[in-house]
Amino acid sequence: MVSSQVLIFVFNLLSGIVALLVSYYAFRFNRLVESSVLRYVSLGFALLGVGLVAEAGISVFLGVNLVELFVVKRIGVLANAAFLVLQLLAYLVFALGYAVGAFGRPKRFNETLPVGSLLVLATPVIRDALPQFYNFALASELLMVLLLAFVVFEGILIYSRTHSKFSLMVLAGFALILGGHIIRFGSIAALSSALYVDGTIVQFFGFLSLLLFLIRSGRIGPT
Amino acid sequence: MGELVQPEKPRSALKIYLDILTTVRDQGRAKPTRILYLANLSHDRLVKYISELLSKGLIEEKAEEENRYYTLTQKGMDFLNEVKKAESFVSAFGITI
Repeated sequence: MVSSQVLIFVFNLLSGIVALLVSYYAFRFNRLVESSVLRYVSLGFALLGVGLVAEAGISVFLGVNLVELFVVKRIGVLANAAFLVLQLLAYLVFALGYAVGAFGRPKRFNETLPVGSLLVLATPVIRDALPQFYNFALASELLMVLLLAFVVFEGILIYSRTHSKFSLMVLAGFALILGGHIIRFGSIAALSSALYVDGTIVQFFGFLSLLLFLIRSGRIGPT
Repeated sequence: MGELVQPEKPRSALKIYLDILTTVRDQGRAKPTRILYLANLSHDRLVKYISELLSKGLIEEKAEEENRYYTLTQKGMDFLNEVKKAESFVSAFGITI
Protein backbone atom coordinates (compact mmCIF):
# COMPACT_ATOMS: atom_id res chain seq x y z
CA MET A 1 0.00 0.00 0.00
CA VAL A 2 1.43 3.37 -1.02
CA SER A 3 1.60 5.84 1.86
CA SER A 4 -0.05 9.24 1.62
CA GLN A 5 3.38 10.93 1.85
CA VAL A 6 4.54 9.16 -1.29
CA LEU A 7 1.33 10.10 -3.14
CA ILE A 8 1.59 13.72 -2.03
CA PHE A 9 5.26 13.79 -2.97
CA VAL A 10 4.71 12.35 -6.47
CA PHE A 11 1.61 14.37 -7.37
CA ASN A 12 2.97 17.64 -6.00
CA LEU A 13 6.36 17.16 -7.62
CA LEU A 14 4.80 16.45 -11.03
CA SER A 15 2.36 19.35 -10.62
CA GLY A 16 5.24 21.62 -9.65
CA ILE A 17 7.25 20.63 -12.72
CA VAL A 18 4.27 21.39 -15.00
CA ALA A 19 3.79 24.75 -13.26
CA LEU A 20 7.46 25.62 -13.80
CA LEU A 21 7.19 24.62 -17.47
CA VAL A 22 4.18 26.90 -17.99
CA SER A 23 6.10 29.67 -16.21
CA TYR A 24 9.09 29.17 -18.51
CA TYR A 25 7.03 29.34 -21.71
CA ALA A 26 5.07 32.36 -20.48
CA PHE A 27 8.41 34.08 -19.73
CA ARG A 28 9.84 33.08 -23.10
CA PHE A 29 6.84 34.28 -25.10
CA ASN A 30 6.58 37.45 -23.06
CA ARG A 31 9.86 38.53 -24.64
CA LEU A 32 8.04 38.45 -27.97
CA VAL A 33 4.56 39.58 -27.06
CA GLU A 34 5.34 41.86 -24.08
CA SER A 35 2.07 41.52 -22.21
CA SER A 36 1.54 42.33 -18.54
CA VAL A 37 -0.84 39.35 -18.28
CA LEU A 38 1.94 37.01 -19.44
CA ARG A 39 4.30 38.47 -16.85
CA TYR A 40 1.77 37.70 -14.12
CA VAL A 41 1.18 34.20 -15.54
CA SER A 42 4.92 33.54 -15.57
CA LEU A 43 5.47 34.84 -12.04
CA GLY A 44 2.36 33.08 -10.72
CA PHE A 45 3.31 29.69 -12.12
CA ALA A 46 6.90 30.12 -10.93
CA LEU A 47 5.70 30.75 -7.37
CA LEU A 48 3.22 27.89 -7.64
CA GLY A 49 5.86 25.53 -9.01
CA VAL A 50 8.31 26.34 -6.23
CA GLY A 51 5.49 26.06 -3.67
CA LEU A 52 4.42 22.64 -4.94
CA VAL A 53 7.95 21.29 -5.10
CA ALA A 54 8.49 22.64 -1.57
CA GLU A 55 5.34 20.88 -0.39
CA ALA A 56 6.51 17.65 -2.05
CA GLY A 57 9.89 17.90 -0.36
CA ILE A 58 8.44 18.80 3.04
CA SER A 59 5.98 15.88 2.99
CA VAL A 60 8.87 13.47 2.46
CA PHE A 61 11.30 15.25 4.78
CA LEU A 62 8.89 15.43 7.70
CA GLY A 63 7.17 12.18 6.88
CA VAL A 64 3.75 13.79 7.30
CA ASN A 65 1.41 15.80 5.10
CA LEU A 66 -0.22 19.06 6.17
CA VAL A 67 -3.27 17.41 7.77
CA GLU A 68 -1.22 14.75 9.55
CA LEU A 69 0.94 17.54 10.94
CA PHE A 70 -2.02 18.75 12.97
CA VAL A 71 -2.99 15.26 14.00
CA VAL A 72 0.40 14.05 15.21
CA LYS A 73 1.49 17.55 16.31
CA ARG A 74 4.98 17.25 14.93
CA ILE A 75 7.22 20.20 14.30
CA GLY A 76 7.61 21.69 10.87
CA VAL A 77 5.00 24.38 11.03
CA LEU A 78 7.33 26.97 9.54
CA ALA A 79 8.25 24.70 6.64
CA ASN A 80 4.62 24.02 5.84
CA ALA A 81 3.77 27.70 6.17
CA ALA A 82 6.37 28.44 3.49
CA PHE A 83 4.63 26.46 0.75
CA LEU A 84 1.22 27.74 1.78
CA VAL A 85 2.45 31.33 1.47
CA LEU A 86 4.11 30.61 -1.90
CA GLN A 87 0.96 29.01 -3.31
CA LEU A 88 -1.22 31.75 -1.90
CA LEU A 89 1.03 34.37 -3.50
CA ALA A 90 0.87 32.46 -6.79
CA TYR A 91 -2.93 32.54 -6.91
CA LEU A 92 -2.87 36.18 -5.88
CA VAL A 93 -0.59 36.92 -8.83
CA PHE A 94 -2.89 34.97 -11.22
CA ALA A 95 -5.91 36.86 -9.99
CA LEU A 96 -4.04 40.16 -10.34
CA GLY A 97 -2.91 39.20 -13.83
CA TYR A 98 -6.41 38.37 -14.96
CA ALA A 99 -7.74 41.52 -13.30
CA VAL A 100 -5.16 43.63 -15.13
CA GLY A 101 -6.00 41.86 -18.39
CA ALA A 102 -9.73 42.26 -17.93
CA PHE A 103 -9.98 45.69 -16.37
CA GLY A 104 -6.78 47.38 -17.44
CA ARG A 105 -5.58 47.90 -13.88
CA PRO A 106 -5.80 45.85 -10.70
CA LYS A 107 -8.09 48.25 -8.83
CA ARG A 108 -11.15 46.02 -9.02
CA PHE A 109 -9.19 43.13 -7.61
CA ASN A 110 -7.85 45.17 -4.72
CA GLU A 111 -11.42 45.91 -3.77
CA THR A 112 -12.19 42.20 -3.55
CA LEU A 113 -9.16 41.25 -1.46
CA PRO A 114 -10.43 42.53 1.90
CA VAL A 115 -13.66 40.59 1.35
CA GLY A 116 -11.70 37.33 1.40
CA SER A 117 -9.71 38.44 4.41
CA LEU A 118 -12.86 39.49 6.26
CA LEU A 119 -14.44 36.14 5.53
CA VAL A 120 -11.49 34.40 7.14
CA LEU A 121 -11.49 36.74 10.12
CA ALA A 122 -15.20 36.17 10.50
CA THR A 123 -14.63 32.64 11.74
CA PRO A 124 -13.70 33.43 15.34
CA VAL A 125 -14.96 30.09 16.62
CA ILE A 126 -12.47 28.17 14.51
CA ARG A 127 -9.74 30.73 15.11
CA ASP A 128 -10.02 30.61 18.87
CA ALA A 129 -10.59 26.91 19.20
CA LEU A 130 -7.66 25.68 17.13
CA PRO A 131 -3.93 26.23 17.16
CA GLN A 132 -2.59 29.25 15.34
CA PHE A 133 -1.08 27.44 12.41
CA TYR A 134 -4.18 25.36 11.84
CA ASN A 135 -6.08 28.61 11.53
CA PHE A 136 -3.45 29.98 9.16
CA ALA A 137 -3.61 26.87 6.95
CA LEU A 138 -7.39 26.97 6.88
CA ALA A 139 -7.38 30.69 6.08
CA SER A 140 -4.77 30.18 3.36
CA GLU A 141 -6.80 27.44 1.69
CA LEU A 142 -9.94 29.54 1.87
CA LEU A 143 -8.16 32.52 0.32
CA MET A 144 -6.75 30.27 -2.39
CA VAL A 145 -10.27 29.03 -3.15
CA LEU A 146 -11.54 32.60 -3.41
CA LEU A 147 -8.67 33.72 -5.63
CA LEU A 148 -8.98 30.64 -7.82
CA ALA A 149 -12.74 31.17 -8.13
CA PHE A 150 -11.96 34.62 -9.52
CA VAL A 151 -9.36 33.16 -11.92
CA VAL A 152 -11.83 30.48 -13.08
CA PHE A 153 -14.51 33.13 -13.61
CA GLU A 154 -12.09 35.15 -15.77
CA GLY A 155 -11.20 31.93 -17.59
CA ILE A 156 -14.88 31.36 -18.37
CA LEU A 157 -15.15 34.90 -19.74
CA ILE A 158 -12.06 34.38 -21.93
CA TYR A 159 -13.38 31.05 -23.23
CA SER A 160 -16.82 32.49 -23.95
CA ARG A 161 -15.11 35.20 -26.01
CA THR A 162 -12.55 33.10 -27.87
CA HIS A 163 -14.05 29.57 -27.96
CA SER A 164 -10.46 28.38 -28.32
CA LYS A 165 -9.58 24.83 -27.30
CA PHE A 166 -6.44 26.19 -25.63
CA SER A 167 -8.36 28.57 -23.39
CA LEU A 168 -10.71 25.67 -22.55
CA MET A 169 -7.74 23.54 -21.46
CA VAL A 170 -6.40 26.33 -19.27
CA LEU A 171 -9.89 26.89 -17.85
CA ALA A 172 -10.26 23.14 -17.13
CA GLY A 173 -6.84 23.21 -15.47
CA PHE A 174 -7.70 26.09 -13.16
CA ALA A 175 -11.18 24.64 -12.44
CA LEU A 176 -9.67 21.31 -11.36
CA ILE A 177 -7.03 23.08 -9.26
CA LEU A 178 -9.91 25.02 -7.65
CA GLY A 179 -11.74 21.72 -7.02
CA GLY A 180 -8.59 20.31 -5.45
CA HIS A 181 -8.26 23.27 -3.11
CA ILE A 182 -11.92 23.07 -2.09
CA ILE A 183 -11.35 19.42 -1.13
CA ARG A 184 -8.12 20.31 0.67
CA PHE A 185 -9.92 23.06 2.57
CA GLY A 186 -12.51 20.47 3.60
CA SER A 187 -9.78 18.03 4.58
CA ILE A 188 -8.09 20.57 6.87
CA ALA A 189 -11.43 21.53 8.41
CA ALA A 190 -12.30 17.86 8.99
CA LEU A 191 -8.70 16.79 9.76
CA SER A 192 -9.01 14.06 7.15
CA SER A 193 -5.69 12.94 5.71
CA ALA A 194 -7.38 10.79 3.04
CA LEU A 195 -9.40 13.77 1.83
CA TYR A 196 -6.19 15.83 1.66
CA VAL A 197 -4.65 13.24 -0.67
CA ASP A 198 -7.86 13.28 -2.77
CA GLY A 199 -7.59 17.07 -3.06
CA THR A 200 -3.95 16.78 -4.14
CA ILE A 201 -4.91 14.23 -6.80
CA VAL A 202 -7.73 16.43 -8.16
CA GLN A 203 -5.26 19.35 -8.25
CA PHE A 204 -2.81 17.12 -10.12
CA PHE A 205 -5.46 16.47 -12.80
CA GLY A 206 -5.65 20.24 -13.20
CA PHE A 207 -1.93 20.33 -13.91
CA LEU A 208 -2.36 17.42 -16.32
CA SER A 209 -4.81 19.59 -18.25
CA LEU A 210 -2.20 22.36 -18.32
CA LEU A 211 0.41 19.86 -19.52
CA LEU A 212 -1.98 18.78 -22.28
CA PHE A 213 -2.35 22.45 -23.18
CA LEU A 214 1.43 22.83 -23.42
CA ILE A 215 1.74 19.75 -25.62
CA ARG A 216 -1.23 20.55 -27.87
CA SER A 217 -0.24 24.15 -28.38
CA GLY A 218 3.14 22.93 -29.56
CA ARG A 219 5.27 24.04 -26.66
CA ILE A 220 6.76 20.64 -25.90
CA GLY A 221 8.10 18.10 -28.32
CA PRO A 222 8.38 18.39 -32.09
CA THR A 223 6.61 21.35 -33.65
CA MET B 1 -31.17 52.22 -35.54
CA GLY B 2 -27.54 51.70 -36.47
CA GLU B 3 -25.52 49.03 -34.67
CA LEU B 4 -22.65 50.03 -32.45
CA VAL B 5 -19.50 48.60 -33.95
CA GLN B 6 -16.42 48.13 -31.80
CA PRO B 7 -13.47 49.78 -33.58
CA GLU B 8 -10.84 47.23 -34.56
CA LYS B 9 -7.57 47.41 -32.67
CA PRO B 10 -4.61 48.51 -34.80
CA ARG B 11 -2.21 45.67 -35.60
CA SER B 12 0.86 45.40 -33.40
CA ALA B 13 4.32 45.52 -35.00
CA LEU B 14 4.69 41.82 -34.18
CA LYS B 15 1.43 41.02 -35.98
CA ILE B 16 2.63 42.95 -39.03
CA TYR B 17 5.93 41.02 -38.96
CA LEU B 18 3.91 37.83 -38.74
CA ASP B 19 1.68 38.80 -41.69
CA ILE B 20 4.67 39.72 -43.86
CA LEU B 21 6.68 36.62 -42.99
CA THR B 22 3.65 34.36 -43.52
CA THR B 23 3.09 35.95 -46.93
CA VAL B 24 6.73 35.50 -47.90
CA ARG B 25 6.72 31.89 -46.68
CA ASP B 26 3.47 31.02 -48.47
CA GLN B 27 4.60 32.68 -51.71
CA GLY B 28 8.04 31.11 -51.65
CA ARG B 29 9.46 34.24 -53.22
CA ALA B 30 7.31 37.29 -52.87
CA LYS B 31 7.33 40.49 -54.83
CA PRO B 32 6.88 43.74 -52.84
CA THR B 33 3.51 44.43 -54.47
CA ARG B 34 2.29 40.98 -53.49
CA ILE B 35 3.37 41.51 -49.87
CA LEU B 36 1.79 44.94 -49.89
CA TYR B 37 -1.50 43.47 -51.06
CA LEU B 38 -1.58 40.27 -48.96
CA ALA B 39 -0.24 41.83 -45.74
CA ASN B 40 -2.54 44.82 -46.22
CA LEU B 41 0.09 47.54 -45.84
CA SER B 42 0.65 51.00 -47.24
CA HIS B 43 3.79 51.50 -49.34
CA ASP B 44 5.54 53.55 -46.64
CA ARG B 45 4.89 50.95 -43.95
CA LEU B 46 5.94 48.15 -46.25
CA VAL B 47 9.29 49.84 -46.89
CA LYS B 48 9.79 50.41 -43.16
CA TYR B 49 8.96 46.83 -42.11
CA ILE B 50 10.81 45.16 -45.00
CA SER B 51 13.88 47.19 -44.10
CA GLU B 52 13.61 46.03 -40.47
CA LEU B 53 13.16 42.39 -41.46
CA LEU B 54 16.16 42.61 -43.81
CA SER B 55 18.36 44.16 -41.12
CA LYS B 56 17.36 41.40 -38.68
CA GLY B 57 18.21 38.77 -41.26
CA LEU B 58 14.70 37.29 -41.27
CA ILE B 59 14.22 37.73 -45.02
CA GLU B 60 16.60 38.29 -47.89
CA GLU B 61 16.25 40.33 -51.02
CA LYS B 62 17.02 38.84 -54.41
CA ALA B 63 17.02 40.47 -57.79
CA GLU B 64 16.23 38.72 -61.06
CA GLU B 65 16.41 40.83 -64.21
CA GLU B 66 14.16 43.80 -63.49
CA ASN B 67 12.31 42.11 -60.64
CA ARG B 68 12.99 42.26 -56.93
CA TYR B 69 11.62 39.68 -54.56
CA TYR B 70 12.01 38.42 -51.01
CA THR B 71 12.56 34.98 -49.54
CA LEU B 72 12.48 33.70 -46.00
CA THR B 73 15.80 32.84 -44.36
CA GLN B 74 16.20 29.95 -41.90
CA LYS B 75 16.33 32.54 -39.11
CA GLY B 76 13.08 33.98 -40.45
CA MET B 77 11.48 30.53 -40.52
CA ASP B 78 12.55 29.90 -36.89
CA PHE B 79 11.21 33.30 -35.84
CA LEU B 80 7.91 32.66 -37.64
CA ASN B 81 7.52 29.29 -35.88
CA GLU B 82 8.28 30.89 -32.52
CA VAL B 83 5.69 33.64 -33.07
CA LYS B 84 3.09 31.05 -34.17
CA LYS B 85 3.76 29.09 -30.98
CA ALA B 86 3.51 32.26 -28.91
CA GLU B 87 0.23 33.14 -30.65
CA SER B 88 -1.46 29.87 -29.69
CA PHE B 89 0.00 29.96 -26.16
CA VAL B 90 -1.09 33.50 -25.34
CA SER B 91 -4.56 33.03 -26.90
CA ALA B 92 -5.35 30.65 -24.03
CA PHE B 93 -4.97 33.57 -21.62
CA GLY B 94 -7.12 35.90 -23.71
CA ILE B 95 -4.18 37.78 -25.25
CA THR B 96 -3.89 38.55 -28.94
CA ILE B 97 -0.63 39.52 -30.57
